Amino acid sequence: MNAEPLVQVRGLSKYFPIHGGLFRRVVAGLKAVDDVSFVIHAGRTLGLVGESGCGKSTLGRMLLRLQEPTAGQVLFAGEDLTRLDRRQMLAYRQRIQAVFQDPYGSLSPRRTVGQTVREPLDVHRVGTPGDRQQRVDELLAFVGLSAQAAHRYPHEFSGGQRQRIGIARALALNPQFLVADEPVSALDVSVQSQVLNLIVRLQRERGIALLFISHDLAVVQHVSDDIGVMYLGRLVEIAPAGQILTAPRHPYTEALISAVPQIGRRMHSRIVLGGEVPSARTPPSGCAFHPRCPRVMAVCRSVRPVLKKNGDEGSGSVACHLYP
Amino acid sequence: MNAADAPAPLLRVKDLTVEFRTMDGIVRAVDAVSFDIWPNETVGLVGESGCGKTVTGLSLLRLIPSPPGQIINGSIELEGLDLLSLDAGDMEKRRGSEIAMIFQEPMTSLNPVFTIGSQITEVLRRHRQLSQRQARELAASLLAKVSIPDAGRRLDDYPHQLSGGMRQRVMIAMALSCNPKLLVADEPTTALDVTTQAQVLDQMRELQNEFRMAVLLVTHDLGVVAETCQRALVMYCGSIVEAGKTEQLFSSPRHPYTAGLLASIPRIRAERIAELPVIPGRVPDPGNLPAGCRFAGRCSHVQSRCHQERPTLRSVNGNAVACHYPLGADI
Amino acid sequence: MNEFSSVAGARAVNRRNSIWRKVLRKFLADRTGVAGLAAVLVYFVAALGVWCGWWGTDWADLGGSKWEAVSAAHWFGTNIIGQDIFSRAIYATSTAFEVGVVVAVLATIIGGVLGAFAGFFAGSWIDELLLWAMNVLDAIPFYLFVAAVAYSLAGSPYAMHVAMITSFWIGTGRLVRGEVIKLRNMEYIEAAYAIGLSRFMIIFRHILPNTSHILLVQASIAFVSAIKAEVILSFLGIGIRDGMSWGLMIEESTKEVLAGFYNNFIAASLLMFGLVMAFNALSDALQDAMDPRKVA
Repeated sequence: MNAEPLVQVRGLSKYFPIHGGLFRRVVAGLKAVDDVSFVIHAGRTLGLVGESGCGKSTLGRMLLRLQEPTAGQVLFAGEDLTRLDRRQMLAYRQRIQAVFQDPYGSLSPRRTVGQTVREPLDVHRVGTPGDRQQRVDELLAFVGLSAQAAHRYPHEFSGGQRQRIGIARALALNPQFLVADEPVSALDVSVQSQVLNLIVRLQRERGIALLFISHDLAVVQHVSDDIGVMYLGRLVEIAPAGQILTAPRHPYTEALISAVPQIGRRMHSRIVLGGEVPSARTPPSGCAFHPRCPRVMAVCRSVRPVLKKNGDEGSGSVACHLYP
Repeated sequence: MNAADAPAPLLRVKDLTVEFRTMDGIVRAVDAVSFDIWPNETVGLVGESGCGKTVTGLSLLRLIPSPPGQIINGSIELEGLDLLSLDAGDMEKRRGSEIAMIFQEPMTSLNPVFTIGSQITEVLRRHRQLSQRQARELAASLLAKVSIPDAGRRLDDYPHQLSGGMRQRVMIAMALSCNPKLLVADEPTTALDVTTQAQVLDQMRELQNEFRMAVLLVTHDLGVVAETCQRALVMYCGSIVEAGKTEQLFSSPRHPYTAGLLASIPRIRAERIAELPVIPGRVPDPGNLPAGCRFAGRCSHVQSRCHQERPTLRSVNGNAVACHYPLGADI
Repeated sequence: MNEFSSVAGARAVNRRNSIWRKVLRKFLADRTGVAGLAAVLVYFVAALGVWCGWWGTDWADLGGSKWEAVSAAHWFGTNIIGQDIFSRAIYATSTAFEVGVVVAVLATIIGGVLGAFAGFFAGSWIDELLLWAMNVLDAIPFYLFVAAVAYSLAGSPYAMHVAMITSFWIGTGRLVRGEVIKLRNMEYIEAAYAIGLSRFMIIFRHILPNTSHILLVQASIAFVSAIKAEVILSFLGIGIRDGMSWGLMIEESTKEVLAGFYNNFIAASLLMFGLVMAFNALSDALQDAMDPRKVA
């Protein structure tokens, strides 16, 4: 692991302006993502979990430059993507691709599956038209669809099949880095496992670096080498998957794991958090989790903990005053 | 509480069959479904999308949109009275007061232009003789019961001012307002975050004991069923394929579909596994169902009989299973 | 433009199982709509014959005497100066069709493209500018506007077309703008960005085709409005001049009805009424069949 990581995110932040007052001036910033840093090596998967509104999707969109960061850097193979203009970015778009959440919304309903999968090849003028057609057939075969599927429209396919089409489109340009935002959360259980297996397989076979964003810890852990947990725009813990699930350090991580309904465990063993996720407009002082934290201390109310590397107790980092 | 100590079931559904007219012809969404719910019991109705679980839930309140839907056969007896024999006015009186329902998306179930207080009091006053003030007081106490802080003031809030979890609690409060005997909860926590889901499920369990009502929990989430329900019914392609006590059902499923579903769920494990087990293929098209067992095309234990003859529910080692060759059965 | 015109229907029909096939199936189930379509086709054939010179060529000939009654030679009789009313009515059908089609197609294309740009760049100066233009054009009374355009174009036969297109694209533009504001947040638009498509390509490849249901319905509404406006404008003397129109026939008949001769008036009004009714039935059926909530 001494090679330079493929993706390095440094201090990435996104503040949305809150307008107010007489002239609709910017009176404050909603910190959707606040000073997040992590790395992903080639061929590895980072899973990012958190509840709605924690900023995980905004983060993914910033990596794809679908949204401009307020601050921070995204280094991809050493190049800072946030500094590139539209034309320069085009070259990187080939190497960074995305799989989206909604199998119904992520495919244009008036274009055939073949047109959709082929589009990245057309845009970047890869090969001859004949090559492209062949590549489309290969891609469809890889994701488990027949070549006839190319001539049909998205509405003729089920959710799982549509998600496979979305994956085929993302793979068309042989990307090195894939951002998958909730790729299976809209799918039924039996289909979800098929698509998850496909994602794991493509990631292993092609050595892609993968950022897998989901609200579902069980799903994340199935695909991830490392897992990062976000709360109110900040990364509160990041560690190897096995470690974070068996020995979570941050109380929020612990509560999140315990809240996942599990077969073969009765309900009373869980930690039920009080209250609700506070609004990102008015985040609590100190540690943002302190109003709901079962292990809150005086210091948590005033001092915001920083993400610190764990010492002897395994690798990973946590942002919590319990671990000074 | 279960079958042994209650004299009669609260709800007895028999041969419920619901059809929808579509552009592709008539589709049978629910096919001869029968089950009982006993007082104060929580029953999970699980299955994947399109299996007919939601239609079954809606049928219990006679809320199937008609046309295109129609209950063409069966009976739904609530304490011995067949709801399907009632006229529309009688049914309306019972809906909300004896049998209530909550839905997945609390934002769309609440009218955005009225305060939640006016919506709860409206329900209360429709079913009970109450003055405006009494109704408002009762509404406030109901909100307090579902752990909404500062309930009196919250009555004047509009739905968009509440979070998703709070809105779902308001829905629960509305559903409980007339002490229903049966609550049908259709994916009540699916739109919520896990930590909020945990809160709402806990809440529902407490309220169920307090109000002594039965709950039919319609969901796709087997984990939720495992943690909250005493009994579970598994649906596939419009029919119940397996039913039984939750623990037994999940620890030793008899139907290959139940077993496959359970195996394919990603679970939190210490070690990553290389590949999740999957159920191959996909759900058959509801307009073009196979002749025999509807799971035959995806089943790893399929035999020739499965393609010809449709299995019916029968008891196998404590579970009811609709399968010719149930797993782990000593036959 | 190619992407755009194809959405109007022709391309997808030969592809099996397309969304259009479902629309077609639904449309065929609507009897009023099919009857409307049949009637519109009859009118269309009448107009086509005029364009091809098969009939209606003698509309200006003084082939009979004044106010002849209905006969085998003059199906609808003759007018005050002995012209054949049937020929004139048929010729006027082609005028109505020509105006309707030209205005509907151009107004829809302009409205679609400008509306898509306004919606796609909603909140930016492009949107502000287009909205401003729409509001300004909307504020001018229609008939005053036509008169002004006719005057400024110094009697050009296309003054009426220009004025109608300039007014009719606005409604389409506003509707498309609203739809595009919704569409631009769809994930497939995000996906198109992520692939590296330019904004221009996204508008023409992904956004406009998905507004086709609005475009088709709006085009059919523009068609009917244009025909009605043409009749009224011609009646008022600021529409068709070097040709024949139902409006001109009705204008002629004002002198005749006083004398108790109704043929001219009835022929023109009934034909116009029939076409407008038939097309309305067709466009209602189209609207129902193409409603995306019911189709997909």
